[in-house]
Amino acid sequence: MTKGIPYSEAVSRYQAVEERPLPDGDPDEAALLARFHPDNFADSVVDLKIGPNQGDRCHRALAEMLQADARIEEADLAGAPVVETDVLVIGGGGAGCAAALVAAEMGAKVTLATKLRLGDSNTVMAEGGIQASIDKNDTPRQHYEDTLKAGHNLGDPELVAAMVNDGPDVIRWLIQQGMQFDLDKYGDVMLRRAGGTSESRVAFYRDYTGLEMMRVLREAVFNSDVEVLEYSPAVELFADQSGDCAGAVLSSLKSFSHVMVRANAVILASGGIGRMHINGFPTSNHFGATGDGLVLAYRLGAKLRDLDSFQYHPTGLAHPRHLAGSLITEGIRSAGAYLLNAQGERFIDELKGRDFVSSAILRECAEGRGVVSSKEGIGVWLDTPRIELIQPGLLDKKFPKLVQLGERSGIDPKTKPLLVYPTLHYQNGGVRIDADGRSTIPGLYCVGEVSGGIHGRNRIMGNALLDIICFGRRAGLHAAGRTHGWNHKKVTMDHLSDHRRRLTFAGLDMDIKSPMLFPVCAKFDADSDYDGFHKSRKRE
Amino acid sequence: MSEEVQEKIVNVTINGKQIQAPSTLSAIQALWHAGYPRVKSVGCLEGVCGSCRVLVRKGGTAEVKMALGCQTLVEEGMEINFLVFPNPTHHTYDLKGIPNSWEVQAEFHRIFPEAVKCRHCHGCDVSCPKNIEVERGVQLATEGRFREAGELFVECVMCNFCMTACPEFIAPNHVGLFARRATAYFLFRPSNLIRRLEQMRQGQLTVAPGDDT
Repeated sequence: MTKGIPYSEAVSRYQAVEERPLPDGDPDEAALLARFHPDNFADSVVDLKIGPNQGDRCHRALAEMLQADARIEEADLAGAPVVETDVLVIGGGGAGCAAALVAAEMGAKVTLATKLRLGDSNTVMAEGGIQASIDKNDTPRQHYEDTLKAGHNLGDPELVAAMVNDGPDVIRWLIQQGMQFDLDKYGDVMLRRAGGTSESRVAFYRDYTGLEMMRVLREAVFNSDVEVLEYSPAVELFADQSGDCAGAVLSSLKSFSHVMVRANAVILASGGIGRMHINGFPTSNHFGATGDGLVLAYRLGAKLRDLDSFQYHPTGLAHPRHLAGSLITEGIRSAGAYLLNAQGERFIDELKGRDFVSSAILRECAEGRGVVSSKEGIGVWLDTPRIELIQPGLLDKKFPKLVQLGERSGIDPKTKPLLVYPTLHYQNGGVRIDADGRSTIPGLYCVGEVSGGIHGRNRIMGNALLDIICFGRRAGLHAAGRTHGWNHKKVTMDHLSDHRRRLTFAGLDMDIKSPMLFPVCAKFDADSDYDGFHKSRKRE
Repeated sequence: MSEEVQEKIVNVTINGKQIQAPSTLSAIQALWHAGYPRVKSVGCLEGVCGSCRVLVRKGGTAEVKMALGCQTLVEEGMEINFLVFPNPTHHTYDLKGIPNSWEVQAEFHRIFPEAVKCRHCHGCDVSCPKNIEVERGVQLATEGRFREAGELFVECVMCNFCMTACPEFIAPNHVGLFARRATAYFLFRPSNLIRRLEQMRQGQLTVAPGDDT
């Protein structure tokens, strides 16, 4: 039973007001996270039983995928066509495209395989922008400190330093690919401030930053020498005689058959896990975000990190129900929108770190100060009318995607507040990498959301778009250097027999197959079109 | 204003299948709701990726409209068919191959020779699920007014409906994207960014990991 104040009552009580005070006193931040952040929900975390991270904490749903059986066996590959390439990129979002473009520019033969279409990714959905210390009052040093601090000082300093140093050049590289940013009247890059940071550092294009980035990078890849294989999810990685990564098996959803790709280097850029809907949360993530890359890397023996740490973005739409989970950019709070409980009171500094703000929203809802819209729907107000009040016209001009979302919801954000609730947004952890994007397995690079260690246990707005381009370029450059001569004497999936033995010894369920590939709602494992592929019997 | 959306059950036909679903669901959600798998032509589910191209005919009407499946709420009597995604356009270009900004217009006509053949049939405008003035954008680009043309395509999600609709194979969305990219590539020279790049080049501000302030 959800407690709180009914929507119609709360909305009739609401009035747009220019200024509202914050509650008195400093909140106990550690206690807030401990009690209300979903990472700390009872029973959501288990210890891994097998693999390189045996004994480490991991979210239950992810552990199930990491400790599942493969979707393929050696025998399935009889007669499968073989493609040979220098660099195989797995994933067609921003990180994959950046890696592919740079590797190809260095003269490597590059094949990019993606589960759906090129550009189908979380990148295209990013709204807020991309961080880079450009402002004259800002420095890479401040960017470095803000990033580490927001991540509770658990990020890898080497990775963070690499990222902040690359920041300005990443923006230049993107402009040279043909990406636009919002400029001021002098032609300077405009910057907004992210929650939990000390300076305005987020470059943006309206609230379509990701869309603008993705359509430009997709066009750049299609106009390059990169060979693109769409509808080709990777289902397993290959190892060579020394255990180095040597390629991947793709399951083509077009030809309903397997393709073996042998490569000198593999760059995994397969994204995050939002569509696992961990802890039962809605997600702002793309349909394809099912954590496939983590599974592939782990089975090959790559070390992962922070598998119990996820980001819940404070402002996912909570009402109407069919749009639940849709993201509303943090830029809107940066522009002055308050968060209000059902009584019309502010309850947290809206520009605190995302983990604090989300936890505070969950606290308001748990303690009966939420707005109840339906049987399952609850949330707090995002006070968008205040922006219209203090800066008339800004919503239309800088937040067109939000205005459209309002139209589809039947709610005008200029006059009525939107109901929001935290939405599963980002995987903070992932595959352990170095500053060239190298995992602990030679020949296997991991970039973008599939990698871990940059953001610690909490990411700030705009650092994801920077991370994907920064490390995508670095991995592309480094991987292209591995292409001199063919080093693999043998290309096998021997690691699978070891994996299966460990599963059996640990008493784990062999009926579950991974990677997940598609969200449960799409019923992939029940789809008769794909009968030739190994199905997960548990998930039908 | 009623805040509780009334959940009506409606009858729709999706890919030839008779389906009953609540009116609050999109075409994709309705298909899943009825137990049908759907993997291809699904993307961001937020209307920005252009994957889920559908043809829609409302109950009792003859007109067929083009739309995005994640943005189309099912209605009584509606017929919906998912389209496959078209092959990439045949136009190719490399911005670095354009020697300087004086040559952009000439290069544009070499890359997109069909653009001047626009018949003004409005097929692109009618097919655009984002209501972009596509045809005017193509016209502006042929006149070399790339910045203006590009502004019209801010919301373009590259669903390629206009490419499918164009009888002259202009690929209007790619024209729009070319106009946008050429604008950034040749005209964006932000002084705040350039100054910072110069400072970084001189090594003044480079952060070394681990050292404390």
